[in-house]
Amino acid sequence: MDRNQIMKWLKAPAKMSNKYSLHAIYFCTGCGIIEVPPVITARWDAERFGVIPVATPRQANLFLITGYVSVKTLRAIIRTYEQMYEPKYTVGFGSCPINGGMYWDSYNTIKHLDKYIPIDGWIAGCMPRPEAIFIAVVHLWTLIDKEKANGYIRYRENYKSYRRNQELALGKLEWPPLYPINSSS
Amino acid sequence: MHESLKHELESMFKDILVIDTEDNQLTVFAQRSQISVILQFLKDKGFDHLTLVSAVDWIEEKKFELVYILTRYLEEANKDRDKEKTYLIVKTRISREKPQLETITGIFPNAEPYEREIHELFGISFEGHPRLTPLFLEREYKIPPFRKDFDTRKYVEDVFDTIPIVEEKDK
Repeated sequence: MDRNQIMKWLKAPAKMSNKYSLHAIYFCTGCGIIEVPPVITARWDAERFGVIPVATPRQANLFLITGYVSVKTLRAIIRTYEQMYEPKYTVGFGSCPINGGMYWDSYNTIKHLDKYIPIDGWIAGCMPRPEAIFIAVVHLWTLIDKEKANGYIRYRENYKSYRRNQELALGKLEWPPLYPINSSS
Repeated sequence: MHESLKHELESMFKDILVIDTEDNQLTVFAQRSQISVILQFLKDKGFDHLTLVSAVDWIEEKKFELVYILTRYLEEANKDRDKEKTYLIVKTRISREKPQLETITGIFPNAEPYEREIHELFGISFEGHPRLTPLFLEREYKIPPFRKDFDTRKYVEDVFDTIPIVEEKDK
């Protein structure tokens, strides 16, 4: 353990533990998943940074969306995101979730993913190198330190708007709202 | 090597055009009513593997072109060529106004998902197909999206760009 950080550990042990053990679930929507096997295996070894892939969203707190998001996958992404426990962090990987990327005029892909679920950070590039994931993880650490990686709080607070956007894109959703939608928010 | 097959096809069927497009490739242009007969004939000849069914939108000629690609599945059947497989491409054109065609799932059962896909993306309906239900798409489209007159940019502007950005309260 870094001795400089001992005060942080004493102040907020839960936060620090979350920060240094990011359990990642990778949503393999597109070509970005090609970069993930070298990242989690011996070549780049994400466990140096405490990032480890897990099997189900129930065990994860880092959600990495790698690649373009079609309308059909958006449904699965929302369901996965809503199943994760808080605190949860979302990172969009590659240029396609940011603004559509090369699918900017496609008839069946979502262009801006942050209209539907909150995103804590983006990794730009087509494709980003595996090192970019680690840069993103380190950035995420600073964001967690400053309590700015607050996507899950924003989701709760603006759930009405997010739910409205999800319904605009997908039509009627077959699952009930995650949070109560009151008229005031 | 195709000469014998070419002659046989030309003698068996009227109104077809057989062209040697490449070394190991023969293209047959047929009328729409002949498609299932020709495919059955070729299947009996040993072309038992339907690789692909595809469609092309020739919007200026107001036609859809259906493309069926056949090959021999087993290597032993390709003995006459050393290594390369021979491909048989069967094409037919149907009118764009009333896009309808007989299904070939009776001859090649694996054509079913291809025909569903073409039905969904081009709006060509196949008579006698067991289930022409949606395959990939989630949304409703007025014009099937793979047709040439489908304006993707306009669709994106109308649908995805009109979804507002979530305005979050300042912290």
